[in-house]
Amino acid sequence: MANNSENNLLASLSDAMVRAVEKADASTVMVNARRRLPASGISYSNDLILTANHVVEREDDITIGFADGSQAPARLAGRDPSSDLALLRLEGHSAVPAERALADARIGQFVFALGRPTLEGIQASLGVVSAVGGPLRFERGGVLEKYLQTDAIPYPGFSGGPLIDADGRIAGVNTSGFAPGNSLAIPVSLAWSVAETLKQYGKIKRGYLGIRSQPVEIPSAAQSRLGRAQTTGLLLISVESDSQAAQGGLMVGDILVGINGSPVEDHDRLMGSLGGETVGKPIAIEVIRGGEPRSVTVTVGERS
Amino acid sequence: VEIAAEQSTLTAYLSAETDRMLERVRKSLVQVRNGHHGAGAGILWDADGWVLTNNHVIGHGGRGGNRKVILENGLTYPAQLIAQDEDIDLALLRIDARGLPSALIADARGVKVGQLVFAVGHPWGQLGVVTAGILSALSSAKTRDGKEIPILRTDATLAPGNSGGPLVNAVGGVIGIDTMIVGGDQGVAIPSYLAANFVRETREKSKMASPSAQREGYL
Repeated sequence: MANNSENNLLASLSDAMVRAVEKADASTVMVNARRRLPASGISYSNDLILTANHVVEREDDITIGFADGSQAPARLAGRDPSSDLALLRLEGHSAVPAERALADARIGQFVFALGRPTLEGIQASLGVVSAVGGPLRFERGGVLEKYLQTDAIPYPGFSGGPLIDADGRIAGVNTSGFAPGNSLAIPVSLAWSVAETLKQYGKIKRGYLGIRSQPVEIPSAAQSRLGRAQTTGLLLISVESDSQAAQGGLMVGDILVGINGSPVEDHDRLMGSLGGETVGKPIAIEVIRGGEPRSVTVTVGERS
Repeated sequence: VEIAAEQSTLTAYLSAETDRMLERVRKSLVQVRNGHHGAGAGILWDADGWVLTNNHVIGHGGRGGNRKVILENGLTYPAQLIAQDEDIDLALLRIDARGLPSALIADARGVKVGQLVFAVGHPWGQLGVVTAGILSALSSAKTRDGKEIPILRTDATLAPGNSGGPLVNAVGGVIGIDTMIVGGDQGVAIPSYLAANFVRETREKSKMASPSAQREGYL
């Protein structure tokens, strides 16, 4: 037999790889929601499909294609441009929910990128996790807390499809939306938590103050008055009129150094301090003004 | 520490097994020179001098072209062009030699997405180069006259000079003939069952069945 035999380790490995792909096959779907080549998606539950936000160009008239060749309509249930994820609701069709990996992905582990951009069958490429990084910041204030980079080939239409581990469990969601041509994936723990919020609210709430800032060194005299080892803060270079920041009394020239008692050294810490749970609530913003630390209370708005 | 030792044994074992398997595959890999500037890879289809390669490797020299087949051990033979099929980009050559280390031909009908594959060829003229990957898709391509043919797609890196060489499975069985030009896609192989049909039909037509014709059956 020239096909795989049982007492051959390499053949056993090959068979196990096929089984991993087969396990995720049924929960990898085709997502037809744009003009050009369809992309891919993952069945998050019986009636919800998780995919990449950038492949969803329309909110209705979306078609989902399944492993058995059948197709069903879907409509947008929620989207989060910041993490490039969108959730679609199936109409009159039930999907096989995907099984997620419970452990975080590690550098060097085997992964497969899967996609179903056509109804011809599952497509796959092999690689390893090359890097685990984040946060990654974009224009418009978007920030991806964590991402996986792999060396698996991102074939056209793989966006929204699963990155699976050697056992066929979902390790991440493929995306090319942030850096076309690169193999990036949103880690499953982050993707699943975004999906859960999208399922409930249809969007991800993020806090908004109405300021523009740049990181600066805190003058040494002010540093000693701060009473902690913090060398950088955010210099406010503009404050939007009528914004929450203006109403709370923040001024151009203030150096923002903390929120609710935690230090804020840079943009990432600021973004991290303004999660959806802060929207509508007062927060204590610590600034250095005229060399002196002082506290300002601002009610957080919601970023549209 | 114990776990690390076990893992190193496993990877070392896998590596050694891969090495042995590819050594055998390399013996059935040949160079095909078309008498002009072109060169590619080819496969010793059986022990009696039948060599399979891509049609585009053969070039336009017609039946009388000055073609050569060079074995892994360096022996060079003049090659006779027996048949060509432009649709599936295959050509069959014959050299005057017996007892050759022929390739193991697998039945590509049983292949599955995700399985390990290895491509062996002469990319950019470098001899006997191995690249590894998986079977990425079972797809199809349209020929110039619109006929649909099944193809195998792989994420193993292929380059000019891989053409005509084998895509093998984990035990060294040929599942495809590496071919880059169909549909303009990279990493495309013609399934070995199409190649086997082509060889069988050619032999039936020319009534030149060799004593080892039973080797054409799928293994």
